[in-house]
Amino acid sequence: MLVSFRWLQELCPVDADVAEVARRISLAGLEVEAMEEKGRDLSGVVIAEVRTRSPHPKRDKLTLVTVFDGEDEHEVVCGATNVPEPGGRILFARSGAVLPNGIEIVPRTVGGVESNGMICSEDELEIGSDAEGIFVVDSNNGALPGTSVADALDLHDVILDIGLTPNRPDCLGHVGIAREVGVLFGVGYKPRKAAGPQRAFAAGGSFQPGEPTTRLTSLWDTESETVGTPELPAVSVEIADGDRCPRYGAALVSGVKVAPSPFWLRYRLHNLGLRALSNVVDATNLILLEWGHPIHGFDLDRLRGSKVVVRRATEGEKMPTLDGIERTFTSDDLLICDGEGPVAVAGVMGGLESEIRDETTDVLIECAYFDPRSIRRTSRRLGLHTDSSYRFERGVDPEAIPRVLASAASLIAELGGGAAATTAIDRVATAHESKSIRFRPMRAAQLLGMPVSTDESLRILESLGCRIAEQSDDAITAEAPSWRPDLSREVDLIEEVARVHGYEEIPTAVPRVHPSETGTPGLLKFIDALRDAAVASGLYEAVNYGFLSLDDLRKARVPADAVALANPLSEERSVMRTSLLPGLTAAATRAQRHGATEVRLFELARTFQPSDDKLPREDTVLAIALAGHRSDWIGGERPFDLYDGKGVVQAVVDRVFSQAPELVPGEMPSFLHPKRSAVVTLASRPIGFVGEIHPDVGDDLGLIGRVIYAELDVPVLYALAEELGPTQARGLPKFPAVARDIAMLVRDQYSAGEIAEALREASKGLAESVRLFDLYRGDQIPEGHRSLAFRVTYRDPEGTLTDKRVDKVHALLAEVASDRFEATIR
Amino acid sequence: MAEPDAVQTFEDGLGEIRGAYAEALRAAGDEPELRLINGRYVGPQGELTKLLKLMPKLPGDRRRELGQAANALKQEIQATFDEALEAIHRHAREAELTGSALDVTLPGRWQMPGRLHPITRVRNDVLAIFVSLGFDVADGPEVELYENCFDKLGFPPDHPATDEHDTFFIQGHRSADAESVLLRTQTSTIQIREMMKRQPPLAIVSPGAVYRRDDDATHSPMFFQLEGFLVDEDVTFAELKGVLTLFLRRLFDEHIAVRFRASYFPFVEPGGEVDMSCVFCRAWEGDRARTAQCRVCKGTGWMEILGCGMIHPVVFENVGYDPEKYTGFAFGMGLDRIAMLKYGIPNIKLLYENDVRFLSRF
Ligand SMILES: [Zn+2]
Repeated sequence: MLVSFRWLQELCPVDADVAEVARRISLAGLEVEAMEEKGRDLSGVVIAEVRTRSPHPKRDKLTLVTVFDGEDEHEVVCGATNVPEPGGRILFARSGAVLPNGIEIVPRTVGGVESNGMICSEDELEIGSDAEGIFVVDSNNGALPGTSVADALDLHDVILDIGLTPNRPDCLGHVGIAREVGVLFGVGYKPRKAAGPQRAFAAGGSFQPGEPTTRLTSLWDTESETVGTPELPAVSVEIADGDRCPRYGAALVSGVKVAPSPFWLRYRLHNLGLRALSNVVDATNLILLEWGHPIHGFDLDRLRGSKVVVRRATEGEKMPTLDGIERTFTSDDLLICDGEGPVAVAGVMGGLESEIRDETTDVLIECAYFDPRSIRRTSRRLGLHTDSSYRFERGVDPEAIPRVLASAASLIAELGGGAAATTAIDRVATAHESKSIRFRPMRAAQLLGMPVSTDESLRILESLGCRIAEQSDDAITAEAPSWRPDLSREVDLIEEVARVHGYEEIPTAVPRVHPSETGTPGLLKFIDALRDAAVASGLYEAVNYGFLSLDDLRKARVPADAVALANPLSEERSVMRTSLLPGLTAAATRAQRHGATEVRLFELARTFQPSDDKLPREDTVLAIALAGHRSDWIGGERPFDLYDGKGVVQAVVDRVFSQAPELVPGEMPSFLHPKRSAVVTLASRPIGFVGEIHPDVGDDLGLIGRVIYAELDVPVLYALAEELGPTQARGLPKFPAVARDIAMLVRDQYSAGEIAEALREASKGLAESVRLFDLYRGDQIPEGHRSLAFRVTYRDPEGTLTDKRVDKVHALLAEVASDRFEATIR
Repeated sequence: MAEPDAVQTFEDGLGEIRGAYAEALRAAGDEPELRLINGRYVGPQGELTKLLKLMPKLPGDRRRELGQAANALKQEIQATFDEALEAIHRHAREAELTGSALDVTLPGRWQMPGRLHPITRVRNDVLAIFVSLGFDVADGPEVELYENCFDKLGFPPDHPATDEHDTFFIQGHRSADAESVLLRTQTSTIQIREMMKRQPPLAIVSPGAVYRRDDDATHSPMFFQLEGFLVDEDVTFAELKGVLTLFLRRLFDEHIAVRFRASYFPFVEPGGEVDMSCVFCRAWEGDRARTAQCRVCKGTGWMEILGCGMIHPVVFENVGYDPEKYTGFAFGMGLDRIAMLKYGIPNIKLLYENDVRFLSRF
């Protein structure tokens, strides 16, 4: 919310500069997010008097104006049509002046005439929104030529931008912030009475007999001249829904003339982010900014039946709002109606038909209290968020209604030259009850960790407007002020005491923490270990959004039965991922497009699977993607293939388990290449898969080259880690090993792994390891065959092996190879 | 059968070899050449070997004497060979040690490690500090029930406090019903989940992904938060200040100033926000001119870093704790924001683009 410091000072004079005020209110919860000084960046712009004006010799639409700026006369070419007669005063930017928009004024020639300086509009000086013509100084303003514009028009102000939290509706107007400043600076705050209207009349027959009224005169600071009661139809107010509209007030101003507002008002509204329209509308806006209480002006002439009825809409009822849009309501919406139909959406926006027009002369001013939740629902349903709904949905002060009406009636009468009725209708359907709250200084002290005295608490609570209903040794009963709907229980008052006192006054202490016996759950630690293992194995961590498009899932051939969002931001992010594949491979492809030749990514995150439970299942998955080429030192590079995938999976798992997983053939997900993929197993248990992405899927996803992808199931791995327990040490061998090689020619259908395993099994427990050390295809090797060479390490744990014994077993191995695998031993 | 000529041949042969081998061996430039030359004398086809094949033809009385002479020669050759070989090795070593150096600027040859994502790094740093203070780490679902995300945390129904939490709902769950399913907008859900599960004393931190319907230059629809809370008897606001001050000093710099401002979150009261000295202009060092120029803190010397407060009694009531008996504090922070501050990341979107050029910086 934008706040004028100048206005604040008028409402609550404190002896502190703007920086100090901003600091104090920020610390107390009204965070000042920005400050802007007004009227400072206009040096070089002065009041000048028009001396002569004549048409431009060559250009039709331009005028030659001679102005006197207090020192010299300057000839200026001006494009506006409203240059005043000689003697009139305008705002003149001298040569060399820099306007707020950054434009520097320099002499220039227009149609052969040299123009020295510029006559400015409000808009060009950013002191208003009027860009139609130049600004003409009001004849009441006595400023002499040469006076700086900031002084002459009294532009000096500082605008604070306060980020208000939703619990403080009382600060949505300058009065509330002034009250807060008064409390924080210990100077107190007394609401000012409004200046009374110059002319007032007794309402008399203007209101229907029996309407409850409130006197405004006691809220006016000055005496008014009494004029006769105008001949107007008698107004009545009826509240049909007292829950949603507990109180409704209406004041009357007669004989106004709708016209532009004076500059001070337009300037104030402009600085506070509102556009000036006409005096009556501007006045309602100024009252809104002053009291934080929205009011609405109805053209009485067009209020059919001179009647206000506050009721709920009938289902499907329609009305065009001020913005020209036809709105349809539900029975949950509250409407302001006249004798025939709706004229406003209560608390949200007025209707098109009853708005103030140029011809309006009699204004009925509405000031009401509406139920915040009701206004919020309607505002959200209609997608209509207004300055008015913003305040009502947070909660305005129901008890301020007479005061706001008094201010509003007086201001509108003054600006429009009308007369205000001395009473206003004030219908209360449900009386406001102030909340009684028990406050124990001891409890406050306990919660804050510092001494809290009863006297200090009393002082703070009273300064905030609480009424002290009761006081005993250990407790105070306070009644919350009507403008603080956020105060309802003890802790609310404790916060007030802490806040006003200042959080910086609370000491700093270190708590005793009782560390738990379980500590961080094992799974979370395991996940961290896996993440570290992935990094240690050369992978870069990616973090993708949890949502993506259904199309991504379909193209990737991963489950497309996904948890969908009801209100996604876009189709691209409309379902929760069922797999990490689309996100991770897309990241890899992007990296390649950016010129990366070797992409090694992993992501350790959740996938979301629909479930019959209340919430979907969230599975933690480690996914790995390798794309591009692996470079082997200088000059050597080759595309990533399955064996890189296998290697990295082994490296990751080995780092956590101190043993490497194996690959075995098995049922593969359809997004992997059927011949270049495998199940990853550890201790014979499947823990994931690795392989090349199916080339068709790669095409659909737009991948570049063959991408290697692996997934490990984290909960399964963790369960396995729990089951396997910590690695157990083994004694070192006592007897020496003997190594023998065996080379063979075999058909491709036999895997190196199964041959090695068969050899090991055939060794009668003597082969400690069987390791493939050579693989050869090519010349001299028949098609569909390969040459494999294994090194078998023999060791007898019980004694030293003799050559003879080894020879015998080794020969047996050769026999197994040729019998079972049709191998030709070489 | 002895041949008198054989003796002559043998003796001549030995004489020739003796006269030539030393010079020949010493002339060798490298080991292969040396071995080649050596082979010419003592190899299978070597001259000495050939000569020895004449032994059976020597007369018996001379055989022993000539044999010894040949053996002596063989040993001399071996000794000379060893000496020459050593000289060659010594020379080669000398040349290696004094010759041209390896080009050390060529790339190293090893699999380099990868990189943790900057959010993970920050998360690890933050967790390490709280774990060292005795906090446990906890975890919870990203898809949540409305009641855990809002109701139980004390968000009043139809209240503007939910405006800052522009929520993604799961299909079929548009309303603010307790059972509505949504993407959690804050990790504060963990407070509810852990308190429903366990009894005080509790000290827990929980990092995780959260989601809000905001997507512009400074907002990402998914981001990371870390929630922390401590519940026990007699926990005070002073202790909240103590823990967070200590945490921020450990995380950023031991010299930073920390300031607590009043603020509002429905689930804490008194509620606050914490500012710390701007880490970009290192405001604690007191260089006023530098701070005045700082665009990050806009010259104020302060930056907002986290939200906090004493756990609202309504939260305790909602999880079945006695609010008169227990008090506690809670705090929350954006891990993205901390990562951005710590690593000077100019734009939140960089965190989720997974550009390898970006990731490789960390
Ligand atoms: Zn700074």
